[in-house]
Parts: sequence; structure tokens; C-alpha cells
Amino acid sequence: MSGELMNCAAVKDFFALYLYGELSFDEEERVESHLDGCVSCRKALERQREVQAALDNIAIEPSPALLRSCREELHMRLAEESQTAARLGWWERFTDMLTGRSSHAGWLKPAGALTLVALGFGVARFVPPGAFGGVEMGMVEPASRVRYVEPASDGKVQIVLDETRQRIVSGGLNDQKIRVLLLSAAKDPSDPGLRAETVEILNGSAQSSDVRDALTFALLHDQNAGVRLKAMEGLKPFAQQTEVRAAMTQVLLTDSNPGLRTQAIDLLTKGLNQDSPSMSYDRQVIGAMQELMQRENNAYVRQRCKTALEAVKASTETY
Amino acid sequence: LAQKTGGQLEETALIRAAQGGDSAAFEQLVRAYDQSVLRLAMNLLRSPEDAQDVYQEAFLRVYKNLDKFRFDCSFHTWLYRIVTNLCLDHMRKRKVRKEEPTIVATAEGPLDRMDAVPEERVDGDPQRYLFSGELRKRVKEVLAELTPRERMVFELRHYQGLRLRRIGEVLGTTEEAAKNCLFRATQKMRAALGDFI
Repeated sequence: MSGELMNCAAVKDFFALYLYGELSFDEEERVESHLDGCVSCRKALERQREVQAALDNIAIEPSPALLRSCREELHMRLAEESQTAARLGWWERFTDMLTGRSSHAGWLKPAGALTLVALGFGVARFVPPGAFGGVEMGMVEPASRVRYVEPASDGKVQIVLDETRQRIVSGGLNDQKIRVLLLSAAKDPSDPGLRAETVEILNGSAQSSDVRDALTFALLHDQNAGVRLKAMEGLKPFAQQTEVRAAMTQVLLTDSNPGLRTQAIDLLTKGLNQDSPSMSYDRQVIGAMQELMQRENNAYVRQRCKTALEAVKASTETY
Repeated sequence: LAQKTGGQLEETALIRAAQGGDSAAFEQLVRAYDQSVLRLAMNLLRSPEDAQDVYQEAFLRVYKNLDKFRFDCSFHTWLYRIVTNLCLDHMRKRKVRKEEPTIVATAEGPLDRMDAVPEERVDGDPQRYLFSGELRKRVKEVLAELTPRERMVFELRHYQGLRLRRIGEVLGTTEEAAKNCLFRATQKMRAALGDFI
């Protein structure tokens, strides 16, 4: 095969694969043998090289804004996904977990343990003692994690376990203990789904300043746009308060999510008009919107901002 | 090599942690690959909306099926298998619909998505400018004429820099079949760009 000579047309057919380095040893040998003795093919190969390099110019690099938007949407969808899975498939997952079928059940352990408690209470009410051969249904096995393993001198193994025992507490939102737990769960960095649920519950008590502080914190600092949206929802009725307005102004200028920036514009400009006595009070908001006009990349948000500024006859530019 | 092995070990640990329900580990995995996934989808589909759909669907599938990943192949290959299948579905549907104009309406007026790509810098040489403009136009046309599989193999080889062996693994075929596909794609391109070669 390597001894077979190639004509110019056949050699040119192989140029692209040759330049990609994807020819077999024999094929490459035949191409190079031909090129050694053919000036016109060597020139054609150079042109092919230029054309292949020119193809790079039509490559698209996705914008950082698109990547950011993809990441935020995925974050929200994953949070929804885990919530839905926990709500709808709890029984299958619970039985999978008990039978060891699921290898992806780490995040379900708390749900499984809680369910076990609930079942324990339920079954204890309806089943006579002793019906389960002495198994205490109300007992919850603690979640264990092996911390250290050490061989002991007698041939046994010593294992140090970290254990977490699940416990259910319940009470109204006015109960201080419940409130402290909820305010802490609203900041749990490991679980956006938990934070979203907690913020939604806290939204019902946003008249309390400690809850409003927690919602403001979530609005400004939560990594998850879904949680921030829920916090914004809870703060809506308090959009006239100075601290809440300051937080929304910050959202307007710094939040990466265009939906949140749009909502911030709506809430900050609600009831605002040129003759409003609060115009002077809201110079800061107008200044922030004028600044937003300079830096906003999203066409829709820009348009909403422009409309809001025009409604109060404010300039859409800064001076 | 040591660095690569270290990286692979780290990735294996991340995958195992994510399989155990560690959402931070899953997020790290996403961030390690999501830019190249989005770039692949964007270049194949030439539409930010479709690329975003593929991105979401691909990582949701990874999330839902991660417990089934058994390290039989690299995570990169497994992920790209999902992404390329989704992109091929999109491209096949589009071929059937025979539509997808690249012109889209935006707040600033009609915009050709393809023109979002910056022109080659030609440093004021008008002849080269015409050459590059004409070449871009011709390349766009011929890429649109390739079959979805040819387009995919060409994209993975030329723009993503994958070797044919890896492309075969990703697409569930042999290296030889991937090579034939690339050969056909480059032949079509050569025929269409004949004046330039």
C-alpha cells in the first residue's frame, strides 16, 4: 500500500485529515512521498492550511452573561428537582433506601429518618405492642459516619463514629425556638431547596424586623436566584421602608439575575410620580436607575428602567 | 502526567461525593465542564436559546443519572455522549422543519445570530477583507449542508480538538467510522470552498 503512488487529486482528498494528524502511518507516508516531488500540491496544502485556520474565525464563544444565566437556571431547576423528588417519590425512595437499592440516597437520609419517625408514631397508635417481634418502631437509628478506623492489638478494629440523631420539633412561627431554627435554616449553605422552603415560610412573618433582616440577607447574599426571588416576594409589602429600599437599590445595581433587577425596578418605582412628595426622598433610587442605564446589558431591563425614568420625567442619562 | 492523574483523582472524588448527594461537589463538576458544553451546543446549533436548552437538559440528565455512572469511561466522555445526543436530536428536528432562520428580532432590531461573531481582523487590507467575508459566507453555507453526524464529527474534531478515537467513544461508534464521517465532511467543504484552495 505504501508503495502505491497517489495522483494530485487523491492527495488533495487527504489534505484535511493530514492536517488534523488523523491519517494512518501508511496514508501519511503516501501523501508525504507525493508532496516531496510535487510543488503545486505543496502550494495547495499551504492554501488548505490557511483555509482551515480561517474556519476558526466562525467559532462562537458564548458570552459570560449567557453562561451565568444558564448556571442560574440550572441552580433553580436542580432545587425544584430535588424538592419534587422528595415530595412525589418519597415512598419509592424510602423503600429503596431501606432495601439499599439506591446509591444516590445521601440527601434522602434526613427525609427517610423523618418518615421513619412519622411511621413510628402512626404504627404505634394502631398496632398492639409486640406485634413487630420486639422491634421498637419509634426508635430512630442515628445517621453514622466513620471518623477514624484503628486496628486494635487483639485483632479487632476500633471505629470512631460521628452520629447525628434526627429529631422532630414543631411549633408556631411565634415560638422563639422555632423561629431561631428557621432563621438558621434560611442561611444553610448546603441546601438551596431547604433555604427556599424556609424563606417561603418566613415570608408569612415579615412584619417582624428579625425576619425582615433574614429576608434582606437572603435577597442580597443567597447564591441561588430562586431563593432571592422568594425573599423579594416576602419583602414586597415593605418596599416603602428605608432599609428594604436600600436593599432593593443594591439588587438593582448588583444582582446578576435580570428577573430580580426588573422586579426591583417595579417595586422601587411603584406609586412614584413626578408630583409625588416622595420624589426628593427617592432621588437615590432615580440616581441608581440612571446608573443602571449606563451599565445594563439586558435589553428588556434597560427598557423597563427607561420607561420608569420617563414616567417621573427624569433623564435617562447621568451627568 | 502526574498533574493529570491528580486531576483525575480529584474528579473521581468529586463524582463520588456528588453520587452521595453532595450538591457542592455536583456544582463543581458542572463548573468544570459547563463552559465547553455551552460552547459545543452554541457552535452546533447557532442559537443561544437552543444552546441553553441543551445545557439545562444535559446537566439535569447528569444529575438524575449520576448514580448509574460506573466509571466505565471518563466522565467527560459520558457527559459529551449526553450532550452530543441532545444536539443531534435538535439538528435532526431542524433538518425536518427546514427552518431556523438565523435572523432574530431583538429590542435593537433584526439581528443575524451569525453576525454576533466578530469578523476576522484583516488590518485594512480590502482584498483580504473580501476574501474573509466571502469565505465566512461559504463556510456557513456548507456547514449547514452537512448531515447532523458529519457536522458533529467536524465540530468535535476541528473546534473541540477531540481525537477521532475519542469522538468514536462519544458517539458510540468506531474510530474508523468517525474518520469516514470526517473525510466526507472535509470533502464537501473542499468542494464548496474550491476557489479558496
